[in-house]
Amino acid sequence: MSTRVFGRIVSYIVLVLIAIIGAAPFIYLLILSFKSRLDIIIEVPPTLHFNWATIKENYSTVIDEGHYLTYVKNSIIVTGIATTIGLVLGVPAAYAFSRLRFRGSDTWSSTILSFRFMPPVAVAIPIFLMIHWVGLANTATGLILPYIAFTLPLVVWIMIGFFDEIPREIDEAAMIDGLTRPQILFKVLLPLVRPGIIVAATFGVIFIWNEFLVGLYIISQQDKETIPIAASSLLTVESPIEWNIAATVGILTVIPILLFSIVVQRYIVRGITAGAVRQ
Amino acid sequence: MPDISSSDERPEVATAVASEPVVNRPKRLASPTQRRGETLLLLGPCALYLIVFSVYPLVASLGRSFMDYNQRENTWTWVGFRNYSELFHSHEFANTIQNTLTLTFAGVAIQVVLGTALALFFNQQLRGATIVRGIIVLPMLLTPIVVGLMWRALLNPEWGLLNWVGVKLGFGYIGWLSDPSLAIWTLVIVDSWQWTPFVFVIVYARLQALPHEVFEAGSVDGANWFQRTLYLTLPLLMPAIVFAAVFRAIDAFRTFDLVYGLTNGGPVQATSTLSFEAFQNGFEFQRYGYASAVSYVMVIAAAVGITVLFKVVKVRRVDLAT
Repeated sequence: MSTRVFGRIVSYIVLVLIAIIGAAPFIYLLILSFKSRLDIIIEVPPTLHFNWATIKENYSTVIDEGHYLTYVKNSIIVTGIATTIGLVLGVPAAYAFSRLRFRGSDTWSSTILSFRFMPPVAVAIPIFLMIHWVGLANTATGLILPYIAFTLPLVVWIMIGFFDEIPREIDEAAMIDGLTRPQILFKVLLPLVRPGIIVAATFGVIFIWNEFLVGLYIISQQDKETIPIAASSLLTVESPIEWNIAATVGILTVIPILLFSIVVQRYIVRGITAGAVRQ
Repeated sequence: MPDISSSDERPEVATAVASEPVVNRPKRLASPTQRRGETLLLLGPCALYLIVFSVYPLVASLGRSFMDYNQRENTWTWVGFRNYSELFHSHEFANTIQNTLTLTFAGVAIQVVLGTALALFFNQQLRGATIVRGIIVLPMLLTPIVVGLMWRALLNPEWGLLNWVGVKLGFGYIGWLSDPSLAIWTLVIVDSWQWTPFVFVIVYARLQALPHEVFEAGSVDGANWFQRTLYLTLPLLMPAIVFAAVFRAIDAFRTFDLVYGLTNGGPVQATSTLSFEAFQNGFEFQRYGYASAVSYVMVIAAAVGITVLFKVVKVRRVDLAT
């Protein structure tokens, strides 16, 4: 009995430790964003106290002077449009792979899925040259076009799993009613795979929201930058001197994605396990 | 929004669906031509898009890996295998490969062990575990630049929290990011912080899906927790563990953003990975040809990894079929 109680206590201590390891870097960065430049250096370890004047100064420096809201707006436009088009193109393709047997269908699906794992640098240079060549550098379209291509394999990968879960009898019944494949997809199946579409959209959004390798050189005009592109130019300079500002940028960069992930949390887990644990 | 593709693609799908006449077909199967038309309609836009924005760039990269770019004249000249022979003789490239393999194999090994341990740990129903599970999933959603920033703050040599803890615990000052032989392991640790949850989520989902009877039978036979885990649970989890490991390895192999955000390849190229090397040569030094050759070495290695992964996925599909 006492060993069981002891075991429970140990388990809870481990649980708290896991939570600390997971959350500490966030909290540390948050605390740093509340400090003045000097306090970060002299106050080791930092203590949590709210000096509102300092906090206001840090955050208004980033939001007002740093044009934070412009970057958020750019990110939302690029992410929203690219994810939507990615779904419009990817969902029908996933449906075709799940249902139709045609010549080379396995080769096609493996090829599309394998793009999910291709190193982005391998396509980054040709895409960069292509976007510059057609004159779309420094435009939202110039980012959206390649980002759709990066989202498509994700969407197809996730959606095949969700279509596979729906019994084929539903398709067959609809076909007897005289519906064509596209009609079946849009009228009958789309409502049934809605959770899958949310999962695919979630992953598209997270991926595009965070992408910057390809974006970094397509966008060189400050007012067109997305959040990670803007953050990278500020944060990767050898070692930032103004750590309070850097920390504030970091916190403001992750806040949108954290809020988003809290809303869609259960879909995130389903998306990661899609393909791994197909029930 | 001046967006070409959105106005292009969406109506295409919409009108295509609308113009399809509703005919009453008593037969279950459409004619072969009609089926081909339908396949093309569903798959065509996606395939076409990927040909332009994924296949073409990959082929172009291959071509350019045999060329040299002259920035001043904006011209490309054919140089055959020169880029490849240069990189295979380069000391820096060998070092880059070593770093990439360290990150891929050591990193993923740590993540698989910890991720599986976490899954087993969370399998005992503890109060508050749901919240903690929610917390540990967050790191993998973060922009890697910010992950880099967080850890550069934690590991800061002058005032970073971890160095303060290290000194208090008697380890003294540790040059996490400045010691060339240590920096790659710092990268492994940070990568593991961010990606262990990925392995955890997959293995935990599999664990939750296992039938309870198996464990009850084990308990009745008098097996203790350790024996049950070793001889029952782990073998049953193996497909998920292998899947997560291969998946993660392919991702770790192409790590770029964490290097960019945490170490910028330094100190003195000690943490440069293949992706980072290709990026630097391509975008910073405008050596597009050489960068393409580096990235093509990666493409070939990734292709091998992908083949292995699909073998694993195939096995799973056969599992399901029976």
